[in-house]
Amino acid sequence: MARAIGIDLGTTNSLVAYVDDRNRPQVVVVDGKKALLPSAVHYRMDGGIEVGGAAKRGAAEKPVDTILSVKRFMGRGPGDIQPEDRGIYHFDETGSLVKLAVNHGKRSVTPVEVSAEILRVLKRRAAEHLSGPVGGCVLTVPAYFDDAQRQATKDAGRLAGLDVFRLVNEPTAAALAYGLDKRSQGTFAIYDLGGGTFDVSILKLTDGVFEVLSTGGDTHLGGDDFDRVVAERLLAENDLSSSPMLLRGAIAAAQKVREALTYQEMIEIDVDLPGGRILRAKLSRDDLEALIRPVVERTTETCLGALRDAGLAQNGGKKVDGVVLVGGATRTPLVRRHVKSIFGQEPLTDLDPDTVVALGAAVQADALDKGGRDDVLLLDVIPLSLGVEMMGGVVEKIILRNSTIPASATQQFTTYADGQTGMVVHALQGERELARDCRSLARFTLKGIPPMPAGLARVEITYSVDADGILAVSAKELTTGIEQKIQVKATYGLSEDEVERMLVESIEHAGEDVAERFLVEWRIEGERIIQSLESAFQVDGELLSPDERAHIEKRIKGLREAMTTDDYLAIKAWIESTDGASKAFAERRMNKHIARAMAGHRVDEFAGQVRPPDDQ
Amino acid sequence: MNCWSCQKAVGPEDVFCPACRVLQPEPPGADLFSALGLSRGYDIDPDDLEARFRARSRQLHPDRFARASARERRLSLERTTRLNDAYRTLKDVRRRAAYLLKLLGKDPVVEARTLHDPEFLEEQLELREMLALAREKSDQRTLALIATGARDRLAAIDEEVARLFAEADPGEEALLSIVSALARSRYFENVVAEADPTAPPAQPR
Ligand SMILES: [Zn+2]
Repeated sequence: MARAIGIDLGTTNSLVAYVDDRNRPQVVVVDGKKALLPSAVHYRMDGGIEVGGAAKRGAAEKPVDTILSVKRFMGRGPGDIQPEDRGIYHFDETGSLVKLAVNHGKRSVTPVEVSAEILRVLKRRAAEHLSGPVGGCVLTVPAYFDDAQRQATKDAGRLAGLDVFRLVNEPTAAALAYGLDKRSQGTFAIYDLGGGTFDVSILKLTDGVFEVLSTGGDTHLGGDDFDRVVAERLLAENDLSSSPMLLRGAIAAAQKVREALTYQEMIEIDVDLPGGRILRAKLSRDDLEALIRPVVERTTETCLGALRDAGLAQNGGKKVDGVVLVGGATRTPLVRRHVKSIFGQEPLTDLDPDTVVALGAAVQADALDKGGRDDVLLLDVIPLSLGVEMMGGVVEKIILRNSTIPASATQQFTTYADGQTGMVVHALQGERELARDCRSLARFTLKGIPPMPAGLARVEITYSVDADGILAVSAKELTTGIEQKIQVKATYGLSEDEVERMLVESIEHAGEDVAERFLVEWRIEGERIIQSLESAFQVDGELLSPDERAHIEKRIKGLREAMTTDDYLAIKAWIESTDGASKAFAERRMNKHIARAMAGHRVDEFAGQVRPPDDQ
Repeated sequence: MNCWSCQKAVGPEDVFCPACRVLQPEPPGADLFSALGLSRGYDIDPDDLEARFRARSRQLHPDRFARASARERRLSLERTTRLNDAYRTLKDVRRRAAYLLKLLGKDPVVEARTLHDPEFLEEQLELREMLALAREKSDQRTLALIATGARDRLAAIDEEVARLFAEADPGEEALLSIVSALARSRYFENVVAEADPTAPPAQPR
């Protein structure tokens, strides 16, 4: 039977874990003897792809073709990329998506594709280790990831051929692994400083229910920043200018220095740099701490904010019952002392901060696979408020940050001009007052509002956030009662077609065997057919007699069963049979919608911003 | 009502069909109180509310339906969304009061517009001046005093609202008094938020 897995897709390292027959979460050894797979992808000139340790070792030699820390680019638009992250990479700036140009510009890849390469290796290693196919999967994301970053992570999972059950926030996953281990009750802070992201979550643990009270973070702060400041110091001390090439070599040296100084007071080593130069690194722990202190201190405000949002900051009273450290960067002694000073107590360190997130993800994947566990339940929140742009560029919040998910909220808006028949709905995420300071998630135009004097139309906008923290927006004009079908396209996301195309291309590149390729393709096709039929049943169910519907549903059931096996020929046969059985239904739907379109009234393109009704 | 899956009879309190154990939709006309198995009323024990929220979450949460049929998955998502909304609304005493007023046919926002209390507004103007001055001078002692004062006023308002709701059958006059009390509380909530940087953000109603 296929076994569910949990994956921690990290900035510097990624891991995969599962729950064994004795109900214990275990990490899979993926790279030689290690459980950590470096999140490095090397695009070779011959078209091959190397992932993990081999790619990372070759990074100094092929810096432009080796993508490190790709997580920093996930769900970002070209304008969002920070100068220090651009590094030596070349960007293909032709479209609205971030693309990295590799192999002298002969090939360009999106961050989603690069991440999918890492996931694909983890999936394969897990399947080898388990001697069988991999089932559903939980992917972890930083708690502070916004909607676009979550969507991109989910796309990467899909692209890697994974059946993504759920996205789980990294600190919450860690709490799950920790809390189950300790059988604890009370309020806990999870301080998660990874390679490239920082998260803090405050959780209340009662009888196995992990309720997230608040979360905060910085998706641009992590151990990578420690290495960068140390590397810059090393280059300066060696009178070397900080070219991107040399910086990458120096960063590798800084990593070694930092790891060594976790356990010793002083280090002195020589490191070879590209171009035959040698970097002499001599540093004491005090020097290191002086360098990284400003980075560590950037986490203070976030922690205090999370305590405040959880209602735990007032009167300087009792704060939390325990603090859990997550992420390799929390091994640094300075970080531990800093955490202690913020929360007023010694942090708990019984579990390995590198693996605890993957272990928690595995526990959750196993629980989902078994239809939930009676002893544990995660109740998570959205990290950032969701709002809509109003007249004048201000943001009206619709769902507040730290709302437990799934969540939904509705607000009414009206037109601001006489005869206005369209309305631009611009969905944003963030805490700031002005739209330009928030993250743009999606923008669409609601058309077909009947012309009437300003302020009379009633448009209801509904935001729904699912259990993955991903937003869907719908809009409804209330005077006509007609709900419009709106395709919400994420501003920086991939469209469905783009994901499909990448899926096919990536399979061609990966050179995996034909059966595996067909299996992935037919499973996706099967899923697509089932989903489109199910939504068609909801919209146009009346076009079918109960017998006809049962006939189709029987085939869907067969297809579902076939899709759980590895028999791609069976899946293909069931797809064809389902297609055949639903052909008449498809024709009837087509006729119905053509008739409706002919009767529809002309909609002009005039569209304005939304504003609240006058009586609000 | 009948089960959508097996057509057997289902009671309004049944979350799952007693015959086939399949998740049922929320009964029509159910309010946020019934989403937590409570009857409509202002007086709620916070510990009991929290325990109910956890127990219902265990039953309804999408994590329990990852392998279920599409219809059950959708019902689980809908009912959990509603449950979260109910818990968020009812655990805060003032949001709870505002919601109850709406159920009783009094929109607290609309009704408050007809209220005029020049004395109260005068007091607020003075308080805000004091607050602005203390903030400008970073006068922590005065800020703390202002925050404590506003919290005391909020506590008094909460008591007044509880007393009014406790009346056997709150009449028009009592309901309008509650509307007025809630409108006043908004001012003090804003004062607390500005005077005490450690206070959690005020919740919308
Ligand atoms: Zn039933």
